[in-house]
Amino acid sequence: MSLQPVEFELLFGITQWAIVFGSFVVLFLLVSIATSFPLYGTAGPGRVLAGMLRGFKEFASPSPRRVYAIASLTFKESIRKKALLVFVVFAVLFMFASWFMASPSDRPDMQVRNYVAFVFIAINMLVLPVVLLLSCWGLPEDIRIRSLHTVVTKPVRRNEVVLGRMLGFASVGTMILLIMSTVGFIWIQRQVSDNVDLFCRVPVYAVAGPEGVKFLDRSGNPSVDRDGNPAKGVNVGDIVETRSFIEGGTRAAGVWTFPLDEQADTLKLESRFEAFRTFKGDMNRSIRVRYVLVNEEKSLKVPLPTFEVDEFGTNEMDLARKQTFTDEQTLEKKEVDIYDDLAVPSEDGRFGSLVVQVQCLDRAQYLGVSRGDFFIRLPDRSFTTGYIKAVIGVWLKVLIIVMSGVTASCFVKWPVATFLSFKVIVIGQVARGFLDKVLSGKQAGGGAAESVYRLLTHMNDTTVLPANPLTSSIQLFDHGLQHLLWMVKFMIPDLRSFGMSDWVARGFDVPWGGVMLPSIAITVGYFLPCVLLGYFSLSMRELEAK
Amino acid sequence: MSDEPVIQIRNLTKTYRDFWGRKKVQALNSLSLEVNKGEVFGLLGPNGSGKTTTMKLLLGLLFPTDGEISILGKPASDVSKNEKIGYLPEESYLYRFLNAEETLDFYGRLFDISAEERKQRTNELIEMVGLQHARRRQLKEYSKGMTRRIGLAQALINNPDLVLLDEPTSGLDPEGSQDMKRLIENLRDQGKTVVMCSHLLADVQDVCDRIAILYGGELKELGRVEDLLKEQHETQFVTSHLDDTAVDEIKAVLDKHGASLKTCGHPTSSLEDLFMKTVQRSKDRPGQRYIPAAETPAAGSETADSGS
Repeated sequence: MSLQPVEFELLFGITQWAIVFGSFVVLFLLVSIATSFPLYGTAGPGRVLAGMLRGFKEFASPSPRRVYAIASLTFKESIRKKALLVFVVFAVLFMFASWFMASPSDRPDMQVRNYVAFVFIAINMLVLPVVLLLSCWGLPEDIRIRSLHTVVTKPVRRNEVVLGRMLGFASVGTMILLIMSTVGFIWIQRQVSDNVDLFCRVPVYAVAGPEGVKFLDRSGNPSVDRDGNPAKGVNVGDIVETRSFIEGGTRAAGVWTFPLDEQADTLKLESRFEAFRTFKGDMNRSIRVRYVLVNEEKSLKVPLPTFEVDEFGTNEMDLARKQTFTDEQTLEKKEVDIYDDLAVPSEDGRFGSLVVQVQCLDRAQYLGVSRGDFFIRLPDRSFTTGYIKAVIGVWLKVLIIVMSGVTASCFVKWPVATFLSFKVIVIGQVARGFLDKVLSGKQAGGGAAESVYRLLTHMNDTTVLPANPLTSSIQLFDHGLQHLLWMVKFMIPDLRSFGMSDWVARGFDVPWGGVMLPSIAITVGYFLPCVLLGYFSLSMRELEAK
Repeated sequence: MSDEPVIQIRNLTKTYRDFWGRKKVQALNSLSLEVNKGEVFGLLGPNGSGKTTTMKLLLGLLFPTDGEISILGKPASDVSKNEKIGYLPEESYLYRFLNAEETLDFYGRLFDISAEERKQRTNELIEMVGLQHARRRQLKEYSKGMTRRIGLAQALINNPDLVLLDEPTSGLDPEGSQDMKRLIENLRDQGKTVVMCSHLLADVQDVCDRIAILYGGELKELGRVEDLLKEQHETQFVTSHLDDTAVDEIKAVLDKHGASLKTCGHPTSSLEDLFMKTVQRSKDRPGQRYIPAAETPAAGSETADSGS
């Protein structure tokens, strides 16, 4: 998991949603009109348009009373059909979990991490499958045993059925989640040792994008690749490419630009870096690191005290607002103010931005860094706040599963609906990055056809394809496919930001702009298309079809 | 009963197709009929004749392949028409995890009925269908007859103007069937329109004003029950008991008018009448049981109090 959130741009998200949703509606209309010709001849398009207009009119005026009635029925149905048996498994897990969990002698942060991770893994593993099965099974079963017939022969619109079902299953999931998370919270409080403080750090990360973290090469110049584009630090061959490395004992550095939104007398800097050693070095001490506060416009460079990196813990440093330093050129002692003298005018923070260079001082040793490794730590928030946010993350996932399950169950039977929703969730959570790469053409090895070609010709994914008509055709085909699948990419929710418990487990508060907002926006964004798709699927379906 | 049509069906055709769009079954073929306000209309026909298909097309559970339907002045696809419709399906497809009260309350909430009125109507309907003793039992514990009764109650929860009953007496004992027929007559008396489909001809004959007979998805007969059943070429008398002399004299009169006596004897009541009388007697005189004729030679085939 990456603790490097990128601020979510709500306006951009809304615009993109509108484009995708509009495209979807237009595509749906065109397909409906095309398929209406063989069924109804020239009267087909008229019937489709009239049906759609009537549908939108019906769709726009759901009755809250009927939705609530169906939601209550769904809730009652789930409870009476023993959905709450899941609590038995939950209880058994929590009765014996402490036998296998961390002991009080473990590091405090590891204790908390293990307990929080366990609670949320248990909740996820129990709540999500239950909600998935309930939401995929409810409506098809209702149709199979025809109990839905007695409902739709009352003045009930199909969107009210979809909404009621969604609301009902969401209520069941919410209730189970609330009970489990409350028990989990109490359990964590009782399990951690008395000397362990539970809290949530509030980090201010470097601004996102290439301007946020830059690298200087060993000569102190901006690091660039062969094409002159900004480059990262040294690659030491670590297969996890999250971190990039700063060469020690040279002028190489990582440069973080932090937005300053609040003024304080003391700023707390916190980091957790990784060391990569090319020789054993002094075993009695760790690698030495130095922060340098920089304002290039004013030619100010304020070095802070050197410290040894705690490789498996955190490095904390309090930074007073007024700093005294010796000017390297004039050797005079000077005093500067972080906000008045060092802050760089910027749109990112209300009080500008603070630029901090990180240097490794030990020759031939390397310091592994990434954007999220170094941040300004604001006053901590309570553990409860973070825990509630993490629970909200699971709850949003419950909502996405319910919406996906109920929508799928409007047009396919429950085993297919379950499989479909499960795949959507798994791809959205695990393979979303891969999907984005493939559909943006950035995946090494090319698209589907190129991958097949490479497999058949035993060609690895970094080898350049030979230039011939066949490979040109393959690439053209992949390019076309990539555009065709453009909408599919948006139909699968990006659930990577929903795992908010990881932040709490690692002692952080869940950031609003980079994690919570996109998760909420994704959930809200999927609501209308799901209800609309479910409504039209159910409306166009003959419930009594033989 | 008025001539104002509540249901108008014009050239209604329904063809079931398979996944590939190939024609599978022609369930209805160009059906046209009207049902007037306040009448009890029966749809008759053997299995597969298109009765239930017609009803499901009326309710929007199926879509017509061709033709038009107007029901209460609205197209079948208009959901708002259901405000004034009550529907009892062929099988009572209800939520088996609910009890009778919850079932009626749930269906009542789908209409614009206040909580107070829902409660009142729930109590009335439960009493009407005779399920007071089982009002808190989940429907999964109900017998088929009890399920039919609660199914009927849910169809009437909105006090509908038009009631569609698919095989209303199916699964009911004769007493229940009688109750159902009485209820249909009550609905007619209240000015409501009832459309029922059944292949139990006696039930239809007992309660329907007009009937339509379907066969192979096509309309074969349509009209008033008595008109369709009337044998224009025969005359029937039912008199008090006559001796043989009187019968011979009547035969002579008939000969004189060129007519012949086709049947002469004691009329029999229906098995349903016998059953109803027996049940009523059992209720009036509990404990009485059947005694074979050999045990009570004086009284013949009689019944006696089991306690005596």
